[in-house]
Amino acid sequence: MAAASATAVAKGNGGGGGRAGDASGTRKKKGPGPLATAYLVIYNVVMTAGWLVIAVGLVRAYLAKGSYHSLYYSIEKPLKFFQTGALLEVLHCAIGIVPSSVVLTSFQVMSRVFLIWAVTHSVKEVQTEDSVLLFVIAWTITEIIRYSFYTFSLLNHLPYLIKWARYTLFIVLYPMGVSGELLTIYAALPFVRQAGLYSISLPNKYNFSFDYYAFLILIMISYIPIFPQLYFHMIHQRRKVLSHTEEHKKFE
Amino acid sequence: MRHHVEILDAKTREKLCFLDKVEPHATIAEIKNLFTKTHPQWYPARQSLRLDPKGKSLKDEDVLQKLPVGTTATLYFRDLGAQISWVTVFLTEYAGPLFIYLLFYFRVPFIYGHKYDFTSSRHTVVHLACICHSFHYVKRLLETLFVHRFSHGTMPLRNIFKNCTYYWGFAAWMAYYINHPLYTPPTYGAQQVKLALAIFVICQLGNFSIHMALRDLRPAGSKTRKIPYPTKNPFTWLFLLVSCPNYTYEVGSWIGFAIMTQCLPVALFSLVGFTQMTIWAKGKHRSYLKEFRDYPPLRMPIIPFLL
Repeated sequence: MAAASATAVAKGNGGGGGRAGDASGTRKKKGPGPLATAYLVIYNVVMTAGWLVIAVGLVRAYLAKGSYHSLYYSIEKPLKFFQTGALLEVLHCAIGIVPSSVVLTSFQVMSRVFLIWAVTHSVKEVQTEDSVLLFVIAWTITEIIRYSFYTFSLLNHLPYLIKWARYTLFIVLYPMGVSGELLTIYAALPFVRQAGLYSISLPNKYNFSFDYYAFLILIMISYIPIFPQLYFHMIHQRRKVLSHTEEHKKFE
Repeated sequence: MRHHVEILDAKTREKLCFLDKVEPHATIAEIKNLFTKTHPQWYPARQSLRLDPKGKSLKDEDVLQKLPVGTTATLYFRDLGAQISWVTVFLTEYAGPLFIYLLFYFRVPFIYGHKYDFTSSRHTVVHLACICHSFHYVKRLLETLFVHRFSHGTMPLRNIFKNCTYYWGFAAWMAYYINHPLYTPPTYGAQQVKLALAIFVICQLGNFSIHMALRDLRPAGSKTRKIPYPTKNPFTWLFLLVSCPNYTYEVGSWIGFAIMTQCLPVALFSLVGFTQMTIWAKGKHRSYLKEFRDYPPLRMPIIPFLL
């Protein structure tokens, strides 16, 4: 779902032209000012570069090791850095330089950050699981395309290939990412139970209890209503965006 | 001279209804009633009529001939969706916590372990908390029935699900811990409880005073809006500093309850409530400023001098 929502919801970080489903020619609102645009271009270029670093790191580690197991360690630091850095996108919405909803953007970034820190980082035993590779690859490809989409949109020069990729590859990448995420959370469960990780029980002076194990299960269950909604929203957007461009091309 | 009124769908521009021979001094409310006759599924409360498809809704009290229309008025209709009365929503959302808290207080089976079924806490503060919580919601129910004068009759139906989830959910969550067999009483004992109780009682009285003062501003059956001012009742003197002292006192009550029970979920409930009430207070404050040129400048929305 962290994989799904990142592509589905983020209309932001792209200013004019970067909005999902907002095909050319229908926009009336002004984009961010020149300073904000320059900043956003730099931000999106840096993020594109960051996720490329992760992609390259994965490939090189695979070639060096000869197997696809435990590749997490080779890209752990840039993954943490660039995914956590995406929290800035919430700020961009809050200060208005990006026309997306703060709530939706927070939701999507937080779900990614949650998986990175509260699951993968916190439960060391899952770091060697193949499911981690599954979602890392899904996220990496998605983010490289998404950030380059925003970069080009801000510069008002969006190659059709990037638009096509953004609105097509999700069809495979979403389910792939969601599978990786769910399998990873599932793998973490026994270790959380065993260590009582992030859990507090009664009695205590704040009269509060929290069972992280139960919480993770609730998170997994929440994928059931949320993932289909995001997925079909993107499918709907795809039809709108790609067919609109087809029509425009006919008249060129 | 009679008017004609045509009603079009705001989205599709489809002609939904044509009313001829409408009196020029007819109100929007009367037009809504006429419209319902031809489309009974759209009762007046769920009709939004406006002069412009994307414009603001016209008010029920607006008179036809005072609007910028010719002899044939074109009104655009938007369906607001199923509606439910404010009174119904308030009664439901407040009755829930009252009842739910008591389920936990009496330790009804299947909540705590079976050996605790129908047992009673040995801590005085737990009994006191039950009295305070119950009093609070009884007060709210009575105010809904006898004190409040609502500007709007209805709200969208989906609100009742949202609101009840919030109130009932938090009530259950708080009640679970306060009435738990492993509940830990406040660190500073009776002193802490006494102080908290004082805060709670003062804020409940304050909140009630404000509700009464607001009620007296508005005659029964009317929707007039006036600037509220302090009265002889000292609790209303908070109006000098704040636009919505009812919210200020409400937050105070829950802070009192949190200190009394020393329960983190209560503190979280207070925080969420405070956030929501701040949003409402800011909105109300802005409306006051827009509507009244002579609005007292010293007043802040909810917290004196600060917020």
